[in-house]
Amino acid sequence: MSTDQTDGITDDFADDGEPSIEFYGGKLASAFPLVFFVVWAIVQSGILRIGATTGLVVGMLVALILGLFLVKGSWTGYANTIFEGMTRKVAATAVVAWLWAGMFANTIQTGEFVSGLVWAADAAGVGAALFPAVTFILAGLLATGIGTGYGTTVAFTALFFPAGVLLGANPALLFGAILSGAVFGDNLAPVSDTTIVSAVTQDADIGGVVASRFKYAIVAAILAFVGYLVVGSMVSGLDVAGDAGDILVESAEPLGLLHLLSMAAVIGTAVAGRHIVEAISWGIVVAFVLNLVFGLAEFSDMLVFRASEDLGIAQDLAFLPFVELVPAGETGVAGSLYAGAQGFFPLIVLTLLIVAGAQIMIRGGGFRAIQEWLLNSVATTVRKAELTMVLGTAFVNSMITINTAAEIAIAPYIARLGERFNINGYRRANILDANTSALGYIFPWSGGVLVGYATLQTLPGEYDWFTQSMVVNPVDVVPFVFHGWLLVGVFLLAALTGFGLEYTSDRESEEVARV
Amino acid sequence: MSLFAKYTEGWSFRTNTPSFDEGDEIAVFVTGVEAGTPVARVGDTKLRLPDADPGLVDKRVLLRVTTFDDDAHVGEAEYLETVGESAF
Repeated sequence: MSTDQTDGITDDFADDGEPSIEFYGGKLASAFPLVFFVVWAIVQSGILRIGATTGLVVGMLVALILGLFLVKGSWTGYANTIFEGMTRKVAATAVVAWLWAGMFANTIQTGEFVSGLVWAADAAGVGAALFPAVTFILAGLLATGIGTGYGTTVAFTALFFPAGVLLGANPALLFGAILSGAVFGDNLAPVSDTTIVSAVTQDADIGGVVASRFKYAIVAAILAFVGYLVVGSMVSGLDVAGDAGDILVESAEPLGLLHLLSMAAVIGTAVAGRHIVEAISWGIVVAFVLNLVFGLAEFSDMLVFRASEDLGIAQDLAFLPFVELVPAGETGVAGSLYAGAQGFFPLIVLTLLIVAGAQIMIRGGGFRAIQEWLLNSVATTVRKAELTMVLGTAFVNSMITINTAAEIAIAPYIARLGERFNINGYRRANILDANTSALGYIFPWSGGVLVGYATLQTLPGEYDWFTQSMVVNPVDVVPFVFHGWLLVGVFLLAALTGFGLEYTSDRESEEVARV
Repeated sequence: MSLFAKYTEGWSFRTNTPSFDEGDEIAVFVTGVEAGTPVARVGDTKLRLPDADPGLVDKRVLLRVTTFDDDAHVGEAEYLETVGESAF
């Protein structure tokens, strides 16, 4: 029987009153803005090693402008499609979730959460062989709380890496353990940008995605933990004179671990089926209160109006905990809520523009042309479709090294390929996020590795005993990102064997059910 | 679904050809058209929708299974209502 999934499809864009766009060069030319952006991203992040998201924003803007010149006839339809794409629910949902997640992550970081983990590591008193395994767990915990693998990598490379090297742990293994923890959190945290994108692009609720993702993450994490235990006892470190405890004790704060409660508030309410905005709002409230009650942070660390000291009314209000007087040229709003939300602004703008580019490709017919080719030539059975989804995300992530951007670019294909086999939204979201999270911390040119490498290079200036030779080269860490590799392996096996596979008919995601 | 059940769901090796019983009501995407008849493909199982509109492709519909051949993994179903859209 023919497996053709595409014959007879009417032009579902022609009859809904929306413009269809014709391009010089045919349907595939409608992919120009996205292809140009991918090339820009490769040149910027892959070749020139510049990780700035705002640079990618300019890339997408230039791509959208150049795309205009390929349009046949009036440019109005193309211009309107940009608006149409940017106002899609998928973009809006990601934007809202990111803003909330950013505020939460910054507030628990301001509340000494990292210092709590540092205290735990010091209190456990582990030796060189165990240190990488413990580092993996603690980094995974931080990344699951703050949702940013990059932030976790920076914090742990600055604190745990030098402490572990002093203890005698192998540097490359230790760096790999930190990156593995980052992968774990990026993949599983409900406040992670990649988790949010994976869920909203596949029409699934974020809490349900986290719960359904747990089975893959925990299988890979247990194996990775064992790997760090075994390899940690086999490979030797460097012989450096110094006390690792000194580095850790300096920044240890046991009360910081209270933010495990803030994390539990978010994960518990999200998995219980509450809307992600509600779940993270609870987390913010809990974190805010814990910070104030236990003195982990001042009110002004979380929110402060810095008003001019010359302003009369500001002087009158200066008794308030959230008003601060500063010289006239330094006014502004600050604090963890402000910084957390602001940190996502470039990614939000980039996402809106990429979704606009994707919409142009949909309206111009390029999306469907590639989809038809995939469905008729490659993804002809459900196993092959899942394998195509796994390998497709791996391929795109190898080129676009800022993993969230890569994820947004491939998401429409994962959605459509999966829907054509009625693969459940949870499963599609999990396939989409696994490689995105993993490979972003494995490839030597990926954003996660480079962020850690950049931090490692600051350590010789920080500690007298830390020499340039202790800095781990990005290529050397590749085999040691155990959790990343295992996650890729778990999903390849899952695609080949049907492990964890669920169909649309098996259960509905709650977001869809609410609609 | 309980909190615990959400974590334990899907810990299995799922077949690529799921089976359905007559009378089952399921919400699935209409995935294509074969010889003029809309088809909802679930994994590698196919449910034909003889009376449905081919324009339903990529729409999520509620359907009732009317016949199902467990060996050939094909069946027929009747369209009840449209309940959702494609994510893209």
